Amino acid sequence: MTFVEKVCVLGAGSTKYGKLADSIADITTQASVSAIESAGISPKDIKASYISNVFGVADKQVHIGPVLMSRLGIPDKPSLTIESACGSGSVSFREAYANVAAGFYDCLLVTGVEKVTHTGTEWTTTYFAYCSDFFYEAQAGASFPGLFASMARAYMTEFNTTEEDFARVAVKNHDNGVLNPKAHMQKKITVDDVLNSAVVASPLKLFDCCPFSDGASSVILCSEKFAKEHGGDYVEVIGSGRGGSSAALQGRDHMTTIPSTKLAAADAYKMAGITAKDVDFAEVHDCFTIAEVVDTEDLGFFEKGQGVQAVREGRTALNSDISINPSGGLKSKGHPIGATGVGQVVEVYDQLTGNAGERTVKDAKIGLTHNFGATGASCAVHVFQSV
Amino acid sequence: MSIEEQVIENAKNGKLLTHKCTGCGFLHLSTAYFCRKCGSKGFEDVLLEGVGEVATYTIITVPPAGFEKYTPYAFVVLKLNNSDLRISGFMGGITTPADLPVGTPAKITGFDERGIVIEKQ
Repeated sequence: MTFVEKVCVLGAGSTKYGKLADSIADITTQASVSAIESAGISPKDIKASYISNVFGVADKQVHIGPVLMSRLGIPDKPSLTIESACGSGSVSFREAYANVAAGFYDCLLVTGVEKVTHTGTEWTTTYFAYCSDFFYEAQAGASFPGLFASMARAYMTEFNTTEEDFARVAVKNHDNGVLNPKAHMQKKITVDDVLNSAVVASPLKLFDCCPFSDGASSVILCSEKFAKEHGGDYVEVIGSGRGGSSAALQGRDHMTTIPSTKLAAADAYKMAGITAKDVDFAEVHDCFTIAEVVDTEDLGFFEKGQGVQAVREGRTALNSDISINPSGGLKSKGHPIGATGVGQVVEVYDQLTGNAGERTVKDAKIGLTHNFGATGASCAVHVFQSV
Repeated sequence: MSIEEQVIENAKNGKLLTHKCTGCGFLHLSTAYFCRKCGSKGFEDVLLEGVGEVATYTIITVPPAGFEKYTPYAFVVLKLNNSDLRISGFMGGITTPADLPVGTPAKITGFDERGIVIEKQ
């Protein structure tokens, strides 16, 4: 592949994640304005927008792109709304990346948003289940906690691990999330808190699960030439990869690995000219504690089956061997599903431009984002480098 | 009948309809329209007994809409005997992991508002 342009993230911003009162249109605009101001550009510099959102219908607003562009004073600029379940944000980012790399646009707005908490636990559970392979999974009563719980039980059976092992992931991510003022769950927890929390889908308990969150995140993606002309801090996107997996868990060769992660990571590492060992920190898709364990193996940070041992030894904690989810991850920062993949890029931008405050990963040069939809049926991995 | 309707009718009889690739012999669930191994579109229908063992499962206590009256219940991934194929389904009457060790023999027994229904053998 030949790319015309190097691609950079020039600005980034998020709303707080949590239960938000403002409408989906409001929070989409708030995050976008903060990214525009962070980049130090005018909305009129933006050539188009990529909006990731899954359940706009739940807040009575689909086709949100033109609403956002109208509010930004650029109703004449095109927008595109992208849905890939919980991976929508990174997939949208990837499409924007490709358009800048190819030279079609020099400056794009990439915004992700979700507003669902007002629908309540039962309906959020139900809507999310529609992201599975309905005929085989949701139709038979599978929820998303249930699908990842099935993965967790397969992992426990194959690698002789315990529920306590998964609980440690939650504790670690909450330790990081306490340091993130935008996090949904800014609260320290213990292993016992996780083990004693209500069972959602055995063996996963409430504190093994990310919360349902509202929120929006936004970044400005541009060519290196544009970034240099407009000044301000920017980071370079040095790798971008995509992958897919069988939509239903039953169709995977192994139920304890996510093929799309391995494919996307291989692509992204190759493009970046690095290996997993070169990554200083990673924002990975920890929708459930089991997912983070599987992710860190599939991304090549640890051997298959060794992910829990790494957590036991504290090797994934902030400023350890490799800082995994310094933001708190989906588990503590929250998971507004259309926003999550973009929010990970916001964290990487803040880390690599020295704006991550108390949760700063020291001397970090290379950050990675990993975000997938459903049980990993679609995935995107991106690698970023400070300049 | 659509492919999904054919799966449903066979599940009601405890069977699983599958597609065997006429090009390379790879066996798929019947919702496959092209072979994932060789890309061929030619399939022959193969009707399997819906019998196997539990590969993994969960017991759901926070259900999606429509499943409240069945809660708690298990969502099960069944590995079919004499095949690499797996099929998912609903299993009632499961309240603790002690009720369903991984490897428990089980079979498809029907299809209704709970999707494909699987029961312990």
